[in-house]
Amino acid sequence: MPGISFQSLFIFSALFRVFLIIYGEWQDANMEVRYTDIDYFVFSDAATLMASGKSPYERSTYCYSPLIAFLLMPNSFLHQTWGKFLFSASDLLVGLLIHRILKLRGVPEKLCTYSTMVWLFNPFTFTIGTRGNCEPIICSMILWILMCLMNGHVLQAAFWYGLVVHMRIYPIIYALPIVLLLDPQHFQPGKKPVLVEWSSRALKPSSATSSSKTSITQYIWNFCINMITWRRVMFGIISASTFFFLTGLSFHLYGWDFLHEALLYHLTRTDPRHNFSIYFYHIYLHYEHEFSILEKLISFLPQFIVQLVLISRFALDLPFCLFLQTLAFVAFNKVITAQYFVWFFCLLPLILPWSNIKLVWKGLACIILWIGAQTNWLAWAYLLEFRGKNVFFQLWVASLLFLAANTFVIINTICSHLYSPLFQQLKQGGKLKQGYERI
Amino acid sequence: MRGTLIVSAHGSDEQMEARLLLVRINSVLQFVLIFLTIIRSYVHASTTGQAGYVDKYITKTYFEKHDSLIDPEFDNFIANEIPLTLCKVLEDGNCVLPTLSNLHRSVIGEGSHRHLSSSIIFKFQPELKIKLVAHSCEVIMTERLPSGVFADPFELQHLVQRGVFSDAAVFGDTNLELPSFRSNRSVVEIHMSIGSKMLSRHHDKFEINCEVPLHARYPPLGLGFSRVEFGQPDLFMCCSLEVNGFKRSCAYLPTNNISDYKASPLAWEIPCGIREHAGVVSAITYCFALVSALLIVVLSFCYTDNKGSSKPKSL
Repeated sequence: MPGISFQSLFIFSALFRVFLIIYGEWQDANMEVRYTDIDYFVFSDAATLMASGKSPYERSTYCYSPLIAFLLMPNSFLHQTWGKFLFSASDLLVGLLIHRILKLRGVPEKLCTYSTMVWLFNPFTFTIGTRGNCEPIICSMILWILMCLMNGHVLQAAFWYGLVVHMRIYPIIYALPIVLLLDPQHFQPGKKPVLVEWSSRALKPSSATSSSKTSITQYIWNFCINMITWRRVMFGIISASTFFFLTGLSFHLYGWDFLHEALLYHLTRTDPRHNFSIYFYHIYLHYEHEFSILEKLISFLPQFIVQLVLISRFALDLPFCLFLQTLAFVAFNKVITAQYFVWFFCLLPLILPWSNIKLVWKGLACIILWIGAQTNWLAWAYLLEFRGKNVFFQLWVASLLFLAANTFVIINTICSHLYSPLFQQLKQGGKLKQGYERI
Repeated sequence: MRGTLIVSAHGSDEQMEARLLLVRINSVLQFVLIFLTIIRSYVHASTTGQAGYVDKYITKTYFEKHDSLIDPEFDNFIANEIPLTLCKVLEDGNCVLPTLSNLHRSVIGEGSHRHLSSSIIFKFQPELKIKLVAHSCEVIMTERLPSGVFADPFELQHLVQRGVFSDAAVFGDTNLELPSFRSNRSVVEIHMSIGSKMLSRHHDKFEINCEVPLHARYPPLGLGFSRVEFGQPDLFMCCSLEVNGFKRSCAYLPTNNISDYKASPLAWEIPCGIREHAGVVSAITYCFALVSALLIVVLSFCYTDNKGSSKPKSL
């Protein structure tokens, strides 16, 4: 494959997104079916309300932080496409950050570019920003947090982490792996953490030192003993303070409407309407009566177990851990909508250079199975929603197949991954504790 | 509140004073009651616009006083609480307004998103034509939606912006996400202008076609399909007259003399969950999630860090 410079790729992606935004405006004005996501109109209406001094929650179905409406206020006095340009710029920023993170880890330029293309040229991702969905902003913040940690800027990472959890609850699942990573063996006073180079992924840990398998156990043991470290405490204080300050300010301005719509709604959401989750039909069949505590616990158990195990096994390889956690979180969630897929799509390019998976045939099998299961679900959903056929049972079976496909992808990703901790372990005095020898 | 005060028959001075005091208190109470009744009437008139005129939306007034849509209460509201003064304002003693000649209704489309189509033909006397055009008259249709369907207010606003209706609004339960057994009914109010173009087509009649986009809620569990039936719409003719400062006056146009509806009520069959599936679906859902989780857990524990011994991919 001929070499493509990242600059050319980036410029082309930017121009393509501008074209899509302009095309979207044309389609909205001239065709019955609109290009723009319905959520964009919700954001715009909420921003208009905010600009006129009212609560954004007067707009029904607006269930986000008031910060989103604040960012879109120029929609009402500049141009209605301001938000789309903002979201697409965030989308491009995600591409830039992916490239920077991979470069920091020593990935060769060519592989960096190909991995970044997986984000920039993914049809799902370039439509989501240009259609007016705000998820690229969240993704860019997650990657920025990762970069801050890699550069040793823990306090900055803490601030952004508190901000992103305020805007979207789901990144709370990253708290434990991040805290585990803030180990004194990685972060020492006055020194930046030392990243493990990509080129050392072919190496196994030196036999003179403890193997990584036991070092994870050792890390967890060290964590329990040395839980309270300056960095962990400061990370917790700053991220929690940021979260509570923003949440408190929003509550002060908009009251219980904000709390219900932006926070409690997402924490307690059980949507009986059809969605990709295996739980939708179960929830609909039991919607006439409340679920017991036991039933709620049983449905939460798989999610909880998977998250805990993934963190305990892979926390030190943070990008890989975040990817697996996010994919599993979405797959086992009570409600799954297509926009959630962006949450792990932005992390996928960060693990590809460490994956042994061959496109032919294992990689293709994962892609075909995942897309195939989705397409199967969409076909039954079309029959239900647009043809009025009673296919609830078949749609639910399709959602089981989708979970099976997600599980298949998770398993294959784990099997083909070359485990590589993000940071090298340091001795007291900053010397490397763990070396690597060639096979 | 007419209280009857029972006073002792004993005729001492103290008792006489007590009796007079009680009579005075009674008078004051009755005065306060009359005063409150006047205030209530004033407030009532204010919420219906000024006395004798109708606010922008007819249905809004109903939901200012009631929490939910109940048919007999809405019928009573139309019959007694809306100031239907159009005839008086037009200074038309005979009150010759357009009459409903035909009303054809149907539900168009498939699936959970359909259109409720109403084709309404009015007949009128030719001399009324000039008045209808001159006084910015419009037909207002209020559709009492059955439990199980809803209209998206933002979708209706989009249609207003595109000029399909002159105005539209939804009142009542506008929550788009709840299933029907957790939601209340709603009312859609559609305004359609009577323009000169519409009136010029025929000498003595005009036709209005209205398609309201509706969406189905998830119905209660059943055996396969849940049936939702539509009633008749309520139709009003409203005009804004310059002589009255463009305040809106309305008249009710009865639809109960049209036989079309009575023959076959309009219905929409919505697929519903099957109650018998509950046990199997719940059991398999829990088991499937648990098995998938266990597979990931087992593999994670079996994963070795000696993947470095595998040949890494080359560029």
